[in-house]
Amino acid sequence: MTNNSNNSQVCYQCGTCIAICPVRRVVKFSPRVAIYDSNIYDTDTDVWDCLTCGQCVTACPQGVRLLDFFLDQRIGGEPRDIVHKGVFTELADLMTQLGNSKTTLLKGDDTAGIGYFPGCVDFHDMFFDLDMDFGEIATSSVTLLSKAGLSPKIMQLKCCGHDQLWQGNQEMFDKLKEENTRLINESGIDTLVVSCAECYRTFLMDYDLDCEVKHISQVLADADLGITNGSATAAIHDACRLGRHTGEYDAPRKAIAATGANIVEMQHTKENALCCGVSSMMNCNDHTKALRVLRMDEAKRTGADVLITSCPKCLAHLNCLKEEEDSEHGHDYPFEVLDLTVYLARKLGGGNGGDGGDGDE
Amino acid sequence: MVVFEPKIVMFCCNWCSYAGADLVGVGRLQYPTNTRVIRVMCSSRIQPTFILQALKDGADGVLVTGCHIGDCHYIDGNVYTEERMKNVVDAMKLLGLEGRVHLEWVSASEGPKFRETVTEFVEQIRALGLSPLRAE
Ligand code: SF4
Ligand code: SF4
Ligand code: FES
Repeated sequence: MTNNSNNSQVCYQCGTCIAICPVRRVVKFSPRVAIYDSNIYDTDTDVWDCLTCGQCVTACPQGVRLLDFFLDQRIGGEPRDIVHKGVFTELADLMTQLGNSKTTLLKGDDTAGIGYFPGCVDFHDMFFDLDMDFGEIATSSVTLLSKAGLSPKIMQLKCCGHDQLWQGNQEMFDKLKEENTRLINESGIDTLVVSCAECYRTFLMDYDLDCEVKHISQVLADADLGITNGSATAAIHDACRLGRHTGEYDAPRKAIAATGANIVEMQHTKENALCCGVSSMMNCNDHTKALRVLRMDEAKRTGADVLITSCPKCLAHLNCLKEEEDSEHGHDYPFEVLDLTVYLARKLGGGNGGDGGDGDE
Repeated sequence: MVVFEPKIVMFCCNWCSYAGADLVGVGRLQYPTNTRVIRVMCSSRIQPTFILQALKDGADGVLVTGCHIGDCHYIDGNVYTEERMKNVVDAMKLLGLEGRVHLEWVSASEGPKFRETVTEFVEQIRALGLSPLRAE
């Protein structure tokens, strides 16, 4: 089952990856054993428990590319549990078959050389049962880009295919990739800006695009937005796809610091950031909920008034826990969890939550 | 010219709309035969994925029916259905399948309404034509 694109053969079974793996904190799971079983017995042990957070990659003394290993093992396999009854995968599948399907109703400047793709945020609004507005990420992003003098063209792409790829569905991913690559090439843009960390990783690393791919935080870090009223104390949750996968830790911090906010770091931050617990729409269960509790408790201990992230999925999962408000056990979280763009746009007085931050929950 | 006969998947809840269908039968009311009825215990059993799956498998439209709000056998199951279906209908607009999913409350005593609902929906889908997913 192993193929040559990962280097798991060089693993010398030291177990460092087990020690750092967040999943191991809550359930008996071992990346070392997974590698052992695949190399020695050619079986795949539990490759679905991994959150593909990439912590082990930063720690492995042998430089084993465990993410590639897990991805390889998953391709063609049967995922154990896809959350929300697999509705997002079904939607992606429909998109591959429906030529004129849309992902957003936003309108932009069709002549611009810079394209913005909001990802599936509108579908998140429909199928996540949360008191929050994911669409605000898209409107905020457009507002901020325009403010930075970069009015974007709105890209009508299909789902980027991130989740389908990590769910082992190479076939569907390839279809989405082919279609999106065609749409991007035809649009004639030279820069593709995305506000979702997963889109960013996928377009940057799993597609072969001719244009530049940027996460919106990277654009905003260098832009002068003229926000000076950001007096908040902000903690930053590094999304794995923006952090460990693609190495961008500074841009979100720079963009937020520029508003005058005081940035506080949680106990685990940057390369060591803990995972939100669900990745690629898999593994939303009691084990990984414990990871969310760990993460939110860390954020609470910093005393921040706002926890900022750059991934709509982290945002959903952390807010899902926040909405439970379990104050009886000390798991109530008296701070907001916001997307980077929403935070900035609200400070700007733009976006559709421009009424000062307490607009919608 | 051959008239296009759409294939429609219809979900009926056991306690109201399915009984409504029975009433239509007992009353010998005539209505189009384009629907394939799937009985569920409550309309809230219907996951959005069921609808997507039906469309993927070649349905031209999906009609979801249940008890009127307040009459659900499981108290407020259909309140969830209403919210979910609103979202599914929105998703259809983005996907380019607008008008192919519809929710209607039909009680056990509303035989004529059942007939009208089905007839209207069949006409609506007939006007929309073959599902783009089936044309593939
Ligand atoms: S840390 Fe690296 S070398 Fe050590 S067991 Fe894990 S994969 Fe193997
Ligand atoms: S990627 Fe993360 S969850 Fe997966 S084995 Fe490595 S540390 Fe554990
Ligand atoms: S039992 Fe009919 S809708 Fe719930």
